[in-house]
Amino acid sequence: MTTITSLIELQNVSKAYSLGDGTMYQSLYGITLKINEGEFVAIVGPSGSGKSTTMHILGAIDLPSTGRYLFKGRDISQYSSDELAEIRNKEIGFVFQSFNLLPRTTVYKNVERPMLYGGVPAQEREKRVYEALSLVDLTDKAQNLSNQLSGGQIQRVAVARAIIMNPRLILADEPTGNLDTKTSSEIMSLFKKLHQKQGSTVIVITHEPDIAHLAERVIKIVDGKIVSDASLVN
Amino acid sequence: MEYQEIINSSILALRVNKVRTALTMLGIIIGISSVILIASVGQSVVAFITNELSSFGSNYFQVAPGADMFSSIAGGSGRPLTVKDSDAIRDSGIDNIESVAPISFTSRLVASSEKEKNYLIYGLTQEGQDMLKPELLYGDLMTESDSISRVAILGKDVAAGLFGEEVDPVGESIRIDGIRFRVIGVTKSESKLAGSFLNSSVVIPLQVLNDQITGSDELWEIDISVNNILYLNQTMDDVTHFLRDRRGLADGEENDFNLISLKDSLDTIQTITNLLTLLIAGISSVSLVVGGVGVMNIMLVSVAERTKEVGLLKSIGAKDKDILVQFLIESVVMTLIGGLVGILFGIAGAFAISILAGIPFSLSLEWILLALIVSSLVGIVFGLYPARHAAKLSPIEALRYE
Repeated sequence: MTTITSLIELQNVSKAYSLGDGTMYQSLYGITLKINEGEFVAIVGPSGSGKSTTMHILGAIDLPSTGRYLFKGRDISQYSSDELAEIRNKEIGFVFQSFNLLPRTTVYKNVERPMLYGGVPAQEREKRVYEALSLVDLTDKAQNLSNQLSGGQIQRVAVARAIIMNPRLILADEPTGNLDTKTSSEIMSLFKKLHQKQGSTVIVITHEPDIAHLAERVIKIVDGKIVSDASLVN
Repeated sequence: MEYQEIINSSILALRVNKVRTALTMLGIIIGISSVILIASVGQSVVAFITNELSSFGSNYFQVAPGADMFSSIAGGSGRPLTVKDSDAIRDSGIDNIESVAPISFTSRLVASSEKEKNYLIYGLTQEGQDMLKPELLYGDLMTESDSISRVAILGKDVAAGLFGEEVDPVGESIRIDGIRFRVIGVTKSESKLAGSFLNSSVVIPLQVLNDQITGSDELWEIDISVNNILYLNQTMDDVTHFLRDRRGLADGEENDFNLISLKDSLDTIQTITNLLTLLIAGISSVSLVVGGVGVMNIMLVSVAERTKEVGLLKSIGAKDKDILVQFLIESVVMTLIGGLVGILFGIAGAFAISILAGIPFSLSLEWILLALIVSSLVGIVFGLYPARHAAKLSPIEALRYE
């Protein structure tokens, strides 16, 4: 019997926060899910449902309180902060809803940054920055400062940076939350392109049903529990 | 992470808040500039005085009457030193003595045919003249055969005062206490410290001064030069023992004369300057600590302001160490620039003082190097806490920070 190792697997993951005044807030209740390499998944749910917490745990920027998180078959719940930083750098690309780019910094430097942490040699960095920027069609903005870009351009730079280390997983947290409909669909088609052409695993968190329907699989979280998990046929 | 990139982004971050950065640097600038200023001026003063004193030669020492330098200046309470003492030292056979120059000194009315005024009169022997090495403007110095002649060598201010500026008075007569002397030479001294003193003095043979003017063989001082400067202190000890014996001082009795070498004077000046520099360095270190606390404070503000940025950097793979180094470099760049500005201000101030005081300007490279090291250290020490604080932020807390 062969076991197919999932790219990511949450096993009965719960998360509770201390609210500082002594009370605890339980965000996730025993989430279990598997996502395989090459999937395009949307995680949906109302605000406060725990979908962002799920995304933070999947992205290794937060750790589960209980349960196990297997990334490529390895339990990373007990990893040191340096080991987690390594995973975030090499295996995961993030696109946030806002505050994606370093202020006062050019597009080029923003996209290059993960490679500085990842120890990519200088000659290769320049090549890869321009490849990534051409993929999101922003090569002409390379030397612009981040505050000289429109909202849609900022998200495209964030996508370029997210893919710069060729990660297994691209995680997008409400990537279109601040964008108009037209720009939103541009960004989503970018994720779709990455998924289809490069076979990237893409997980998008959203509360917009239209956006979710562009994915192949929709996981719905309500009150910290998965209430539905359905594959869609586009 | 490459350091060039971090340094660039640190400078960028500091430039965004120019006024804040400048104000934060102020404490460092004040501390560093005052240390550099005092160290440079102190070094200039020591170099200046050393240079002045060594123009007289540093291979000699002085013996003066009285228990210490001050009582001899005040007129020598107690037993005087006489020509006989000086002769005895010369004949003592103490090793290393090159020559012994008894010097007498008084103040008398000096007159030319036109003018008269009180001037200082030095009684010198041939040896004393050799030791002082005066520079001639006109005429000649005394020779051996002049030792009992009534000849006088005028300092250039005396010559100008008695005969007028630019006049060569060699061959003319002057009267000291009414006694005629023939002028045989005029000297000038360029020394800033002793120049005005030497230039307004008259030198005559010691024996003539003692026999015909003061009527006493008491000496102002005896200058003794040595062959080998390495054994200067030994020779001074020998002379002290010799004089104690000669003057019949019992064991435990204090010397009734004092010895002082140029080297002692230089050491004293050096000690005073070093003490002063250390004192200022101490005071300045308070300013550096206050400046350092200012740096820490601003770095904490900066970390707080950029908490979200730290979260973002961590989410794209920055390790704790990367964040630590980034903020540390930022604080070191700030204190180092403050240090550099302080060094420039200090040098400019020292330069201005050297021009105003008419002393040579000299730079203390050791202190500049030390200032650079200290300002970097202030940056590291006071930047470490904020930088560690930033490095230890959890990525999710940092990203959520509002």
